[in-house]
Amino acid sequence: MALLEVSGLTRDFGGLRAVSDLSFNVEAGEILGLIGPNGAGKTTVFNLITGFLRPTSGDIRLDGRCISGLKPHAVVRSGIARTFQIVKPFPNLSVRENVSLAALVRANDRGKADAEAVRTLTQVGLGDRLDVPASDLTLSGQKRMEMARALATGPRLLLLDEPLAGLNLHETEDACGLIQKIRDSGITVVLVEHVMKAIMRISDRVVVIRQGAKIADGPPAEVVNDPGVITAYFGKRGA
Amino acid sequence: MKKALPFIAALVLLLVPLGVSNQFFLHVGITVLMWTSLGVAWNLLGGYAGQISFGHAAFFGAGAYTTMILFLRFGLAPWYGMALGGIVGALISIPIGLICFRLRGPYFSLSTLAVAEIIRLVALNWESLTNGPVGLLITSLPHVSFLGITVNWERKEPFFIIIALLALCSMLAAYLFVRARPGSYLAAIREDEDAAEAIGINTTRAKVNVLALSAFLTGVAGGFYGLYFRYVDPDTVFLISLSIEMVFIAVVGGLRTIGGPVVGAVFLATIAELFRDRLASGHLIFYGLFMMLVIRYLPEGIWGRVRRALNMRR
Repeated sequence: MALLEVSGLTRDFGGLRAVSDLSFNVEAGEILGLIGPNGAGKTTVFNLITGFLRPTSGDIRLDGRCISGLKPHAVVRSGIARTFQIVKPFPNLSVRENVSLAALVRANDRGKADAEAVRTLTQVGLGDRLDVPASDLTLSGQKRMEMARALATGPRLLLLDEPLAGLNLHETEDACGLIQKIRDSGITVVLVEHVMKAIMRISDRVVVIRQGAKIADGPPAEVVNDPGVITAYFGKRGA
Repeated sequence: MKKALPFIAALVLLLVPLGVSNQFFLHVGITVLMWTSLGVAWNLLGGYAGQISFGHAAFFGAGAYTTMILFLRFGLAPWYGMALGGIVGALISIPIGLICFRLRGPYFSLSTLAVAEIIRLVALNWESLTNGPVGLLITSLPHVSFLGITVNWERKEPFFIIIALLALCSMLAAYLFVRARPGSYLAAIREDEDAAEAIGINTTRAKVNVLALSAFLTGVAGGFYGLYFRYVDPDTVFLISLSIEMVFIAVVGGLRTIGGPVVGAVFLATIAELFRDRLASGHLIFYGLFMMLVIRYLPEGIWGRVRRALNMRR
C-alpha cells in the first residue's frame, strides 16, 4: 500500500476547476516531483492535501486512513508536514524558537523540544544561527528554517512547495543535497518545483499536471520525452 | 532581589488603605486598578495573541449586569456575583469567538465591534431582564464582617482592597498563562496564523481559549464596577468608548507586557481624564491622536520602552 493515495481529487473555485479528478500515489521512501506549467494547480494540490483547502470531491488517504477534510493542524499531527511557496517564518521569534515551537506541539516538554530544534536546525545547516531573529536570515536560510520547522513536527511525509525558487546556483546544490539527506533519514518527500534540471536529477518519479489534471506519471527520463508534456510546456511544433 | 520586587509592590499596594484615608485619592486608585485589570485582560488577546478586539465592553457589561441582576433578583452577594459575572462573560465569548475568529486581522476587529453593539442593543431592549434604558440600581449592600470588623461600604477602603486583589490576580493569571504552553502558541498565532496551523497548533481553539480567559477577567472587572458604582445602564457599561479605552491602556502601556497596563491605566486616569474634563466627548480625538503618536514613536509602549532602557543599562 502506498504511503499517500490521492484519488479523484477535484477542487472548484467558483466556475474554475483548479484540480480535476487527479489521482496519484506516493510510495514510502521516494522523492516525488510534482511539476507543471504556471497555474497548473500544484500549490492547490498541496493545500488540499494539508487541509488548507477542502476538496470539492475526491479522497486523500495516508496509510489507508482518510485525511481529506481534516483541519491543517490535524493533518500535521497525522504525519504530513509542509513548507510554503512564499516563506512563512515567525519573523520576530528567533530561529531556535521558530523550530522549538513546532517540536513543543508534539513533545510536551520544553527541554526536549529545544533539543529537537537544535537537532533539526543542525541537520539543515543552521546550527550556527540559532539565536538570530528569523527575519534576519536570507531567503535561502528562511527556506531551510522552514524545512527544519516542518521536520520538527515529526512527519512521515514532507511536502516542499518550491524549495529551490529564488536560490542561487550554489544554494540550489546545497538544497538538493539536503532534500536527499532528508529522504535518506526515512522521510518521504513530495516537492513542487520549477527548476527542471534539479527536479529531474533528485526525483525518483515525476507527476506532471496541466490545468489541474494529470498528464504524465513516471521516472524523470521517461516523462521529459513524453509528447504530452512537451506540448504542455512548449506548445505544438510548428503551431 | 529582582524576583521579590513584584511581591513587595503587591504588598505595598494592599497596605495603601492603611496609610491613605483621603477618599478622593482612593477613588482615583480604584479607577486605576480597575482599568489595570481591564488592560491586562485585553492585552492577553490583543497583545499576546495579536487579535485586536474593539468589543470588550460586551464582556464588561455582561459581567456588570450579571452581578447586579443576581443581587437584585436573587439576593446573591455581589462578591459571588462578580465571579459569576466573569463566567457569564467567558460563556458569551465562546460563540462570539467561534464566529468572529473565522475572520482575520481588521475583519476580526470590526466583527467584534459589531457584536458588542448587538449585545448593547439586546441589553437596551430586553427590559424584563435588564430594565432597559432605566438601568439597575443597588441601594444598599449587604452587611459583611471581616475578621470581626463590620465592613463599611460607604467608604472606599474595602473597594480598594477588593480591586487591588482582582488586579493582582489578573496580572498573575496573565503571567502564568503566557508562560505556559498555550501562551507559547499565542506567539506563533500572532506571528503567522497559517504557519501556526502548519506546525500542528489548533489555532481556533487556542484563540477561543485565550478569548474566554480575557472575557472572564473583563467580566469580573465589570462585576466590580457594578458593586462599586451600584448603578448600571446599557450606555455606561456597553459603550464602545469602554472598549477603546481598554485598547488605549494596553497600547500606551505596552503590548505583550504584564506591567504595561498599570502605566496605561495611570496615564488614562490622570492625563487623559484632564482632557475628558476640558473637552467633553472631544477627548476621544485625544485618545486617537495619542495612540497614533505612541504607535509611531513608542511601538512597544511606555512600559516596554522603559523596560528596554533598564535592560540596556545593565
